Amino acid sequence: MSTEHSHGRHATAPNPQLEKRLTPEQTQALDARVKALESVLVAKGLVSPASLDKLAEIYEHDLGPMNGAKVVARAWVDPAYKQRLLTNATAAIAELGFGGLQGEHMVVVENTPTIQNMVTCTLCSCYPWPVLGLPPVWYKSAPYRSRSVIDPRGVLREFGLELDESVEIRVWDSSAEIRYMVLPERPSGTEHMSEEELAALVTRDAMIGVARVNINQKATS
Amino acid sequence: MSRLTKQQIADMGGEAALPRKSGELVFLDPWERRVFALAIALCEEGLYRWDDFRDRLIAEIEVAEPSAGPDAPASALPTYYEHWLAAFEKLLIEKGICTPEQVHSLTAGLRG
Repeated sequence: MSTEHSHGRHATAPNPQLEKRLTPEQTQALDARVKALESVLVAKGLVSPASLDKLAEIYEHDLGPMNGAKVVARAWVDPAYKQRLLTNATAAIAELGFGGLQGEHMVVVENTPTIQNMVTCTLCSCYPWPVLGLPPVWYKSAPYRSRSVIDPRGVLREFGLELDESVEIRVWDSSAEIRYMVLPERPSGTEHMSEEELAALVTRDAMIGVARVNINQKATS
Repeated sequence: MSRLTKQQIADMGGEAALPRKSGELVFLDPWERRVFALAIALCEEGLYRWDDFRDRLIAEIEVAEPSAGPDAPASALPTYYEHWLAAFEKLLIEKGICTPEQVHSLTAGLRG
């Protein structure tokens, strides 16, 4: 159980890209330049202003957790990979070509018939985005962040995951340095499936630990 | 929306990685969001491959850093989406999507 961390650990190093450092004049000039470019492209019939609005929104809210699903599927079919994943997740994930972590370490925790792992971030919304895409809105919500540690069983029940009292729930509190991902249990009846087919079953929620992988349910994103 | 393109964009690493905060994309101004969407929209239209854009974006970033000098403060360098815009403009011309005149008439306000 890792539920303690100071707020200071959440503060990431200053990233110059995240700080506004253009003057209002520069901003205005860039704004005009982009607008002019857009109107040329609209006039050519290549883009529509409405579709542009939508696009940015899709990327802001809906980047799929495809990388994480591939990691899980590989671990299900390759016991040696699974061992590496549980020992050093950052390196094992990089083996599959997924990087982009900004100094954070990945830790993968395995579900078993008697242990259900669940990931949260009580203080902000630290999330392993290179493997899981962008976090869902509820992950960032105050109720999930606080209740996931106070009443994890109740929260899971609200997600539709009713666990037997004998199942131990372990809550992992993410931080700026450590990002957790859950390795869900491989459902029975999937022995014949290829790695690719297995990856398609793995949902984002299962990798956060608020759902199980269901053979009848295709992952959507 | 092609899932492949989406993944390629999300996966850009190193210097080309999208500015994020706790996983969230960060746009500091509306024009950044707009030019972000423009580059993706034309790729979705099939006018170029995402790699074409990404390679130019990396080139823009790599050219800017040495020319500003190794000890230049971060504030002396163009921002991520200024690089993005410059890469997009060059790609439009190279792919014959816009004429240089159409693009360059607009760059008078470029800083630096």
